[in-house]
Amino acid sequence: MDKMFDVIVVGAGNGGLAAAANTAKEGLNTLLLEKHNIPGGCATSFRRGRFEFEPSLHELCSVGTAERPNVVYKVFDDLGAKINWEYEKGHIFRSISKGENGFDVRVNAGIEGFCESLEKEVPGCKENVRALLALKPKIAAAIDYIYATKGNPNGLVMLLKHADFMRAAGHSVEEVMTALGIPEKAQNIICTYWGYLGVPTDELNCMHFLNMLYDYVVDGAAMPRHRSHELSLALIDVIQKHGGQVWYNSEVTEFLYKEDGSVCGVVANGEKLYAKEVISNVIPHNVFNMSETKYIPEQNLKLANAREFGISVATVYLGLDCTIEELGMTDYTVFISGNPNPRVQNDTRAEDGLYIVNSLNNVIPDSSEPGTCTMFFTIPVYGHDVPKDLTPQGYKKYKNDLAKKYIEDAEKVLGISIMPHIEEISVATPVTFARYLGTPEGTIYGYKLSGWDNLMARTAGEKNDYAIPGLSFCGGHYIRGDGYSCAYIMGDTIGKRVAKRLKGGA
Amino acid sequence: MARPKLSKLNPMDFTKMTPARQAKIEAAPAKALPPTDSYKPNQLANALHPEIQYLKVSKIVEHGKDAKSYWLEPNAEKGTTALAWFSAGQYLSISLEIGNIKLSRPYSLSSSPRESMEGHYMLTIKRVKDGLASNYILDNWKVGTEVTASEPLGVFTYEPLRDADTVIGIAGGSGITPFRSLAKAIADGDEDANLILLYGSRTLDDAIFQEEFKALEKSCDKFKLVNVLSDETDATCEKGFITAELIKKYAPEGNYSLFLCGPQAMYEFVDKEIATLGLRRKFVRHELFGEYFNPSKEADYPANVAPEFKVTVRIAGNETTITAPADTSLLRSLEANGIAAPAHCRSGECGWCHSRLVSGEVYTPKSVDGRREADLIYGYIHPCCAFPLSDVTIEVPPVRK
Repeated sequence: MDKMFDVIVVGAGNGGLAAAANTAKEGLNTLLLEKHNIPGGCATSFRRGRFEFEPSLHELCSVGTAERPNVVYKVFDDLGAKINWEYEKGHIFRSISKGENGFDVRVNAGIEGFCESLEKEVPGCKENVRALLALKPKIAAAIDYIYATKGNPNGLVMLLKHADFMRAAGHSVEEVMTALGIPEKAQNIICTYWGYLGVPTDELNCMHFLNMLYDYVVDGAAMPRHRSHELSLALIDVIQKHGGQVWYNSEVTEFLYKEDGSVCGVVANGEKLYAKEVISNVIPHNVFNMSETKYIPEQNLKLANAREFGISVATVYLGLDCTIEELGMTDYTVFISGNPNPRVQNDTRAEDGLYIVNSLNNVIPDSSEPGTCTMFFTIPVYGHDVPKDLTPQGYKKYKNDLAKKYIEDAEKVLGISIMPHIEEISVATPVTFARYLGTPEGTIYGYKLSGWDNLMARTAGEKNDYAIPGLSFCGGHYIRGDGYSCAYIMGDTIGKRVAKRLKGGA
Repeated sequence: MARPKLSKLNPMDFTKMTPARQAKIEAAPAKALPPTDSYKPNQLANALHPEIQYLKVSKIVEHGKDAKSYWLEPNAEKGTTALAWFSAGQYLSISLEIGNIKLSRPYSLSSSPRESMEGHYMLTIKRVKDGLASNYILDNWKVGTEVTASEPLGVFTYEPLRDADTVIGIAGGSGITPFRSLAKAIADGDEDANLILLYGSRTLDDAIFQEEFKALEKSCDKFKLVNVLSDETDATCEKGFITAELIKKYAPEGNYSLFLCGPQAMYEFVDKEIATLGLRRKFVRHELFGEYFNPSKEADYPANVAPEFKVTVRIAGNETTITAPADTSLLRSLEANGIAAPAHCRSGECGWCHSRLVSGEVYTPKSVDGRREADLIYGYIHPCCAFPLSDVTIEVPPVRK
């Protein structure tokens, strides 16, 4: 007998988890299919010796606290998923840029703290920086208005009441900051976070960047106490408590369509599984390759062909046999770059670009055994940066050379000694992410948030761009782009939308 | 400082974004997308990590009466055309069906990585008392036997940024296998380390690979073999067990890394010896502990546990109920009942058998508890090291197809 569900969610990444948790909670018969033996995609953890490593999360944006919850806090809380949130204390990051016009600056949380930190480094810039952050409430007001009009705002109202929103949403970060008179050095410090979105700030949409920046500044950064595995298991728990099923080791190999072109199910473990609606946490490229081409609307196929893949990362995980104090690391997040300019950082990636060093013990002291600590290096690179002539035989050396280079650079820049303390080491590259995520080029960020394919433009195009009936998408490849927070928010939105549609029609 | 002047930017630029994006989309072809494996990172991922390797026995080498080495070549008819590269020290998880029992066993690759390029892996299997899988293989595998294996797995490998320049290998019995691989990888230039191998056997006849090791010693000055015999005296060998004194005798000046692979009894003995050396933990590395038996010997094992329990197993929407003895791991009980369950290391470490304990209670010995922190909050278990303390319901992932 055919197995029939209300909703099948393909992929237990952050988006898929949030979507499935919502449909299950709404009482819909939900099946979540995951090709790996554990949930989360990037949001997991792995053990080496006596260490449990966080594989991908630096810090979650838009969480807030129980007293002042922001949207991500609410997503988990409303679902009944209890997370042990921990918060980065004091400053939100340290940014070190080597070379000419470089800097070494710690930037504080809070609007006042943020502006003061910049003022100290670039005297006189404070009010200009404040003007940038002041755009965020204006953006929020405009978006509320657009929602209220169901996406059909009156042009005149927009121009009269929300012109600054149009300016911020219609230009790059750099264009807006330059118009606001923010000096280059202050711009470079503010733009340190560009790596989290994967597109340099002369191309990145200002509204998108500002949404993230503002929430980090105001809410600070949050992370789960027990690595990302806690986030993923908490959402699995919600799904199962509400009667949803989660099947691991169950890779979807085909999407099934009705003659009218609507999706009606999938094939997993060689078995046909049917549903009223399917939600894909899997990137459209892979979905289309698992579908008969005749069912893919031309606009959707053209869009996939037009898009570039987003950035991936190389990462180095170190378990050290000394305490964080003995190591001499005082910051949780340090951004290190060879040049202060984000565009140059992007173009020289994997040479002397940008990398991030995280020391989790500075936020969660007992995240490793007493007498030990961990370090986590992240180097943004593209999948196509992996050398064309790299062979399986050469791969181990490639990984070790890469790790050595960044460890030694951090030792020099931070004036600390890391190498003699390495008790455990693991190195991941776009090859690793290609293996675990199955995404083309090992992209962790879905599609590149290019100038033409930015958040605003994606949002406006949503209906046409995802036009297969019965099939919704969520995840880093969807309209909000990458990052844990965006993926949870999108999954939440899509799960609610599908639930509403199915229950409304019942 | 210039005054902020956002009005310099034209708000109407906002209205140009959608048409610009649509034009970009219109200009793109509506052609089928390239397959995922056309991208370099995906190609490498597939080559390094095939989910299943279909192999065939191509040659059998006998080592005395109790051990054999099996050459395994790709089984192209089943779809495996090349062997995945690996690091010396890794293992293959072999799937077996013995009568009604479906199980898997990890076996270290005794061949060198370079030999996999030449078209074969080698597993060396020694007969052990009550060794269900090992004895089945020794009695049944012939040239031409089809074998289903995992990708190369495990982290008992030499890591140049972590380990000392010199490795002192401590091998007992069939624990010699990963060291043959490492010695050859060093000689081939695939690993850059010195290896001093302390190889414990009862008699010299029990010590396998002797000729190969001697030849390697001659051709590669980074490798040295020391046979340590417990039951026999031989002028070329050390007599007795692998003690702290013996390790010190062969240790270089400065740091060295100890790599241990052997039976659990060897770990128990040698670990006590090593403890007296005052080595930092990073310099002492063990291969998989192996399957855990007799949980009731642990001090924290509860009293008055019934001899057997009812275990309800959910796999991908299907449910079965079996009877499971309290002193047997849940994984073994599943296998004994013909239920295929995912497992690789069978030592609590790799997490491949990660399953949900829906209800009931199990016991996991601390020494082999390789679970993640959040697993403990949400009641996940590793069935390879979990023993029932009551009737339980567990949700196990299906074996990947």
